[in-house]
Amino acid sequence: MPSEDTKERIAKVIEVGRTVFHYAWVPMIIYVGFTRSNPQPSLIKLISPLA
Amino acid sequence: MASLPEQSSPNPLLFPAYTPFSSTLNRFQKWRADLGLPNPGTVENLQKEVKATHLTNYAFDGGRADLTKSISMNPLFQVTHSFALGSQTMAPSYNFGAIYASEKVFLQGGVDHDGNVSARMNQGWTASHVSKMQAQISQQAGHNLLQLEHDYQGMDFNLNLKAANPWPTDLTGIYVGSYLQSVTKNLALGTEWVYQRPTPATSDLVATYLAKYTSSDKSWIATAQLQPAGILQATYWQKLSEKVEFAADLQLMAAPMRRDALATLGAKYDLRLATFRAQLDSTGKVSALLEQRFTPTFAFLMSGEIDHFKNAAKVGVGVMIESSALSQEELEMQMQQMQMQQQALSPPPPTS
Repeated sequence: MPSEDTKERIAKVIEVGRTVFHYAWVPMIIYVGFTRSNPQPSLIKLISPLA
Repeated sequence: MASLPEQSSPNPLLFPAYTPFSSTLNRFQKWRADLGLPNPGTVENLQKEVKATHLTNYAFDGGRADLTKSISMNPLFQVTHSFALGSQTMAPSYNFGAIYASEKVFLQGGVDHDGNVSARMNQGWTASHVSKMQAQISQQAGHNLLQLEHDYQGMDFNLNLKAANPWPTDLTGIYVGSYLQSVTKNLALGTEWVYQRPTPATSDLVATYLAKYTSSDKSWIATAQLQPAGILQATYWQKLSEKVEFAADLQLMAAPMRRDALATLGAKYDLRLATFRAQLDSTGKVSALLEQRFTPTFAFLMSGEIDHFKNAAKVGVGVMIESSALSQEELEMQMQQMQMQQQALSPPPPTS
């Protein structure tokens, strides 16, 4: 069984990872979709629903 | 059983090649392949047809507008803005969603007006191994959920392992393992084991037994789920014609503490430009859902539910607008690319 110190460190790492995931998940999908979709779309197409 | 001639090719990993174990294993595999049992599907999809016919997952309240923008077809990349006007049961909400799908990877993410993030990811390592991840993260501390899942489709069986909120140091969380096996061409039997461990000291194991019977012409499916504690769920789905489907669902709880039953009958009509679902409940609820498509880009939804015993009604109206950011030529190029990929995957028929 890991020591109390290790458990606290793991809990802190998981908390930081959760916060990163919370803020970065949707921007990551948008980034992956933009760079890999063909034809490469322009930035305005994301923001305006009419373009 | 008639003795089969030794047709098995030597397995190079086992030396010497014709050890009794490898030849028996090859005979067993060949017998199994000769049975020709179909793959039974996953345990989650056991009642997929019934869930698609009943409108319990689709009914909504109040006003709704969904704007979907497809930015690319292949790989698929779509962005969705969902607006929901308030109703008696829900506050007004806004939801932003993005979907990215290629051959092996599926990514989906959504953000709420409150800042709640929902995430889904499917990764297909091979044709039979798929790993899935599902997460919901909210600003409130207690509502976070992470579910990891691995699914293996064998020749005639399906094995699925899930872990919900596993904590690495003390291994608390909920673990689910399920196994579904085709026993004959029509019948599949399986089990699902749910192992709950809320604290390191307490744990609980619940088993469910599953059965699925598909008719030979695939026109009707009957399933049953039984928990020895006294919970039974039985469903029946039938495709009456190309346009009409019918589903019935019965849930019984016969535990010593609670005795309860719920029966649902529903039908779905698939017309050329519209889908209509109607449903009747044993709690006295009558509901209907209409999805009418006016043009390829515009669809109109209407949902209604009347509870006769409580004398209450819920009505929902919605529009779904899909627009594509691709111009006509780009759309045609994408269609051509998709067709070429499909031809590359399945070789063209030989010309005689």
